[in-house]
Amino acid sequence: MFTKILIANRGEIALRILRACRTLGVGAVVAYSEADRESLAAQLADEAICIGPADARRSYLSASAIVSAAVVTGCDAIHPGYGFLSEDGGFADVVRAHGLTFVGPPAEVLERFASKEATRRLLSAQGLPTIPGSGMLRDEAHALEEAERIGYPVLIKPSAGGGGKGMRLVRTPLELESSFKVSRSEAMAGFGDDSLYLEKFLDDSRHVEVQVAVDSFGNAIHMGERDCSVQRRHQKLLEETPSPSLTDAARQDICERAVKAVAAAGYENLGTLEFLVDGKGDAYFIEINCRVQVEHPITELCTGIDMVALQIKIAAGEPLGMTQADVISRGHAIEFRILAEDPAKDFRPQAGQVGAYLAPGGPGVRMDSHLYPGYDIPTYYDSLLGKLCVWAPDRDQAIARGDAALRELLVDGVITNIELHRAILANQVFIDGKVTTGLLDRVGSAPFVAAGNR
Amino acid sequence: MPGSSKGANTGQADQEKVLRSRQDREAIARLADDLLPALIAKLTASGLGEIEVREGDWKARLRKPATADAGRRSATRLAEAHAGHGHSAARAAGYGRAEERDVRSRPEDETVEESDRIVARSPAVGIYHPRDLAVGMRVRSGDRIGSVDVLGVQQDVVSPIDGVIGSSLAEAGEAVEYGQELVRIELPERPAGETVAVVREPAILAGKA
Repeated sequence: MFTKILIANRGEIALRILRACRTLGVGAVVAYSEADRESLAAQLADEAICIGPADARRSYLSASAIVSAAVVTGCDAIHPGYGFLSEDGGFADVVRAHGLTFVGPPAEVLERFASKEATRRLLSAQGLPTIPGSGMLRDEAHALEEAERIGYPVLIKPSAGGGGKGMRLVRTPLELESSFKVSRSEAMAGFGDDSLYLEKFLDDSRHVEVQVAVDSFGNAIHMGERDCSVQRRHQKLLEETPSPSLTDAARQDICERAVKAVAAAGYENLGTLEFLVDGKGDAYFIEINCRVQVEHPITELCTGIDMVALQIKIAAGEPLGMTQADVISRGHAIEFRILAEDPAKDFRPQAGQVGAYLAPGGPGVRMDSHLYPGYDIPTYYDSLLGKLCVWAPDRDQAIARGDAALRELLVDGVITNIELHRAILANQVFIDGKVTTGLLDRVGSAPFVAAGNR
Repeated sequence: MPGSSKGANTGQADQEKVLRSRQDREAIARLADDLLPALIAKLTASGLGEIEVREGDWKARLRKPATADAGRRSATRLAEAHAGHGHSAARAAGYGRAEERDVRSRPEDETVEESDRIVARSPAVGIYHPRDLAVGMRVRSGDRIGSVDVLGVQQDVVSPIDGVIGSSLAEAGEAVEYGQELVRIELPERPAGETVAVVREPAILAGKA
């Protein structure tokens, strides 16, 4: 096991990693930017070190600043969290070159799965069904040609990316022409790589992802799936497990095929395979995320596995310590992403100082958040304020607990999407478990909030 | 109404008070309207962190927002709050937070000295290597006064102003964080008996630059 881990991230995930380190008895150093000097993780850490200015390119995205911070503080591993450099094979390589361990897949594994387009071919060869798509796009003319072949509507997707950045849904050649350059520059700005590919867009599909873990000895398990169909512009808003859209047989089939395919393809550490599930219940593999997911807590609530601790153990070369038979998923869990966004004003991100803050409690309630009263929300980063997660023996009770917890949650000083979440829980389509990824964008959030306020 | 109903023996004192308060108001208005905009422009254009002007009984002092410093202070608060469980590591790493708190709690008359304090900061996380410069040696703004080794790449530590080398705030070979205070830079010699650069209003308004 490691002696000391540098936490190269911010917000709630920095705190989550710090907690995992403490439970493992491993030292931790929180690396923070000047804008995060007052962050909860930096405050709670035994050691914290300023790695650069607010601009992420010179702090959380600066490989040299992060590795240097790890070296001078005597760390032997770096945990990248999610986003930033978490899936950057080049960074993982630099980390290793300095005699440190990257907490995540080894550099060559990240390289192998870096291109979404190549990953689809790789895992398709291992028996996973994939969505019709293009290869890497050379230019606009090539994109138009490929879109014609696949059939509109298509999604333009950055090969290096995630989180919806640079992604565009286009329904006509004209839209493709106008969106292509924007996607390319967004991909460049977001991931430092502007390669794009096309994917057939399935109207009214659901987003289901399978959580896997593979140790360095090739032992592999899955920890069930998560349904992330409640989205706004390709950004996940609410996730739940198990997915209400899959039958038990379909769930078992997709989870087993996923874990078999990644193990065969030489994957290592935590990973998430994302699938689109169409109206007929058929699942198509779209991409793999080589890191811990934002929504990992709902899997933890149902399986009882500390996934961040598991991730650290695997990186340290330890075996999984469990087999598939040991992974038992119980009950139902829901995560609500609490965002500093104003649903009434086109989800504009909100900045400001948090006034009163009160996290909810009660049976099966978990709040992962870096908020505290008086905290100034920096404007430089994302708008995630925290994740409220609830667990209950079944979905109906989980919804009831979720609503009770959302009513209790108090975040003063900034406008949040708490009411939108309550409205979603009260919506019949959600209650029926039939939300598709495009629903919120199509209907708009105003009717949801209006209905929720009745 | 005001004053008319007062007794004759207090009338003169009242008048003086009124006069003085009018002079005060005028002085404040002049400071706000004439002097401050010019001072703000000066301060913005200069590499100085703070500027002070005196005229008669009046004194105006402007300070650039020192965000990093503000953060450091609250980090100190936290270090105190968590003193029970091990912020010692951070302190041992030499972030100088405790020392800074002491400086700030000095009595008012000594803050003049503190206000004068300008420092060269670390440009990155790494190992600090100062140049062998004697205290009192003159430096120009932008002069390299040391370096920080970031994974074998040297990044320059430079003086933010024209001045003279003051005391060191970090040791050679010490691990330093981004923005850490490394060397104090003092302003060059000033007239005897004065502890701060005091400039008469006309000099500032005329502007040498």
